[in-house]
Amino acid sequence: MSQSEYLGVFIDESEEHLQAINDNLLQLEKQPDDMTIVGEIFRSAHTLKGMGATMGFEDLAHLTHNMENVLDLIRQEQLDVTTDVMDIVFEAVDYLEEIIVDIANGGDGKQDVQAVTQHLEALQGKNLLPSKEGAAAAEASSTSEEKTPAEGIFDEYEWTVLVQSKEQGYHAFRIVVELDEKTMLKAARVFMVFEVLEQAGDVMKSTPPADELEDEKFETSFEVVLVTTVEADDIKQQIRNVSEVDSVTVDAIETGQPDKPASPAQNQTRGTETLAKPNQKEKAPSPQKKSELNKTIRVNIDRLDVLMNLFEELVIDRGRLEQIASELNNNALNETVERMSRVSGDLQEIILNMRMMPVEQVFNRFPRMVRSLSKELGKKVTLEISGAETELDRTIIDEIGDPLVHLIRNSMDHGIESPAQRQSAGKPEQGTVELRAYHSGNHVFIEIEDDGAGIDKDKVIHKALTNHVVTEEEIQQMTDQQIYGLLFSSGFSTAEEITDVSGRGVGLDVVLSTFESLGGVVTVDSELGKGTLFSIQLPLTLSIIDVMLVHVGEETYAVPLTAIIETAIVHKGDVYSAHNQKVIDFRGKVVPIIFLHDIFGVDFQDQDTDYYSLVIINKGEKVAGLVVDSLIGQYDIVLKSLGNYLTNVFAISGATILGDGQVALIVDTNALIR
Amino acid sequence: MEEAVAEDTHVKVIVFQLGDEEYALDVEMVQSIEKLQAITRIPGVEAYIKGVMNLRGIITPVIDLRSRFGMESKSYDGATRILVIHKNGDDIGFIVDEANDVLDIPISSIEPTPEVVGGVADEYLRGVVKVNDRLFTLLHVDKVLERQANKTNQKRK
Amino acid sequence: MASVLIVDDAAFMRMMLKDILEKNDFTVAGEAANGQEAVDMYNELQPDLVTMDITMPEKDGIEALKEIKENHSEASIIMCSAMGQQAMVIDAIQAGAKDFIVKPFQADRVMDAIQKVLG
Repeated sequence: MSQSEYLGVFIDESEEHLQAINDNLLQLEKQPDDMTIVGEIFRSAHTLKGMGATMGFEDLAHLTHNMENVLDLIRQEQLDVTTDVMDIVFEAVDYLEEIIVDIANGGDGKQDVQAVTQHLEALQGKNLLPSKEGAAAAEASSTSEEKTPAEGIFDEYEWTVLVQSKEQGYHAFRIVVELDEKTMLKAARVFMVFEVLEQAGDVMKSTPPADELEDEKFETSFEVVLVTTVEADDIKQQIRNVSEVDSVTVDAIETGQPDKPASPAQNQTRGTETLAKPNQKEKAPSPQKKSELNKTIRVNIDRLDVLMNLFEELVIDRGRLEQIASELNNNALNETVERMSRVSGDLQEIILNMRMMPVEQVFNRFPRMVRSLSKELGKKVTLEISGAETELDRTIIDEIGDPLVHLIRNSMDHGIESPAQRQSAGKPEQGTVELRAYHSGNHVFIEIEDDGAGIDKDKVIHKALTNHVVTEEEIQQMTDQQIYGLLFSSGFSTAEEITDVSGRGVGLDVVLSTFESLGGVVTVDSELGKGTLFSIQLPLTLSIIDVMLVHVGEETYAVPLTAIIETAIVHKGDVYSAHNQKVIDFRGKVVPIIFLHDIFGVDFQDQDTDYYSLVIINKGEKVAGLVVDSLIGQYDIVLKSLGNYLTNVFAISGATILGDGQVALIVDTNALIR
Repeated sequence: MEEAVAEDTHVKVIVFQLGDEEYALDVEMVQSIEKLQAITRIPGVEAYIKGVMNLRGIITPVIDLRSRFGMESKSYDGATRILVIHKNGDDIGFIVDEANDVLDIPISSIEPTPEVVGGVADEYLRGVVKVNDRLFTLLHVDKVLERQANKTNQKRK
Repeated sequence: MASVLIVDDAAFMRMMLKDILEKNDFTVAGEAANGQEAVDMYNELQPDLVTMDITMPEKDGIEALKEIKENHSEASIIMCSAMGQQAMVIDAIQAGAKDFIVKPFQADRVMDAIQKVLG
């Protein structure tokens, strides 16, 4: 496809519009009389249709065209927003999504849309002539509707300049240049046209604006306003002389009436018609985002990843440099290194920020899911989302979708009761699932809370014992929260109770391990009869983390700072034994201590000191002390994976390269606290 | 053109030494040959996995092939090499006694493995090659890289 | 009969262009395989038109273009570029190239460009 350069933009924008349609449809379901919502949906569908037709995706154009017709009927109040109508429109949106996914995966965007088209047509109460090709239909209708192209209105300043130029004997022309649709390197072509124009006079304005032209953000035609002394025909001839220019129209802009900027718009309708004529494919050029005040650019994610990788290299070298500087102890060097560290620290923050995305990306597919799942389960469930604007690193965003789906399904399946049960329990028929995200310190919390039946502790204990997940003795020492947490242990859930909905072949243990692999912590709280709360604590970012480097024997390990409460030194005499577990009294609490030598099988001779060096870590409420030989200090390190070969290494979450080039392993503290 | 013909009937291999035997690996699998360098031990994994090394910024697992094949271990020396294999997107190092040379061998000279070759169980082998007076054994990399699944997993319990 | 100097490091590309040109009754005055050759041959042959590849060893097309333009400001040069060389094409046009064509070449586009430049 010669337009492949646009494909990325096309897909991005299509996804945005689909999301908008989804959101607005759900909104419409709640407020079926709100015609502004219908208008919004109509607009998105219309833009999609135009984009689809331009790119030659006929099924997309065809389907959106039919959707548009249905929406139009709703808008004209000839069709009511009933559940049936919504179901069909949602069905159509599902197809649109599939088409876009297919296109994004390199497919041709073909889908069998006949059935859903028929449904849509049935809503229109008439059978359209047997499938006029969608694109044709789309084109016909869109050219007639495109009354107000986004461009055309001068601001006051521009208008003044125009009037003055005319007074001084200059011509003002509106020039529409249409490039051959096969043109490659369009920006260079535009550049050549501009060279001609700038030779002839002053380009006052272009549509789309120059930077978009440079980025080739236009289909085949663009428009400029030129102030010049050269005659129209000459200009036309000169532009035509540029290769791959299909057609040129030059119209004089009338400034006769000293009216306000409103009038030129009228005069320009002429220009606009010529804009539409030369090529029927002319479509609304890149939909303007209304409320976007900040200037943004689209950057390919791969580039951000490359930037991140390069920066990681830099961080490693920075570590090395810091080490060298401290050895050499040269003032000038130290100062320079210090400055560099500061600057790279700032740089790091910026780069990490660039990779942050709102969780909305993940959340916004849930309303649809909850809607269809409620129907499937015969339950009434409202999903309330808050904090969708909370930001997380892109790598984390990419991973949390599936486990969250699982948890929400779980809440709807096992949490929320059937309407009848709810009624007899004196609850409103309509159950609620709240999905919250919020920022706290170095973490983002995502919570899923339902007002359903809650978790039956005794059942959990019974099942955990039968499936040998825990022993009686262990249960005795567990808090309620810890018992609820058993839901996530592997081997807890058995095949027989996997339902269609929350089953899908994976248990909650997979959910847990996904979150934990992201450095997350999952906790559960529940009250029988009232509801359940799943809380997930996630780190803001993954790739560069703050750690405490420690020596265990001869080996160096890194403990993530986010897990550390503090470091401490305790006298060996202050260590007690309880239930075969060494514990200490730490700030009035009994805290188990874990010898990393044992965990990691490190050879070591008990040193002659009377003290243990401890790193006190926590996981949620639980606290433990890690015994190490010595603390080296706090460092920024780049988290690297151990790769696919070394999976499931106990209590190790990854590795990092130290300043001296050695590899140090990163301790997975979550695995150490049970 | 000439090269293409050669490729059809010949295969380039790296020949390396383990104990008294010579072994070979398809050159295309070998990313590089490195001198021995610092290796960080990984706790709780099979003994033949020596650990990971920093190979130009990439964390690379290293396997001791002698130990993998249950051969008697030998202290590393100046001749010791790490063959870095690229497999499924990962780099993995194999520690060998020495890397001898690169040979073009005719495919026709590859014979199925006899029952037992040296000390290495035949499941790791793809065949034997006899060129001139040298006999060496082609390694089956996939098998060498197979780990007893979930071995480490069970430790959690 | 207009004469053309073809500059491209790939013999295959020169062949293709030559074929297109000769079929349309142009004379190929010479073929150069790099920028330096192009500059030398231009001085010698003074062709009516040059098709100039951008990426070449020794001296690239843009350098060659600038050198030729220095001594022969009237020279008509069409750049031959690949997709993705937009910035270089723009450079070349600023430096005085008359037009550009994009690989893979289509005969009608090539002729269209040449006729426009010579016309």
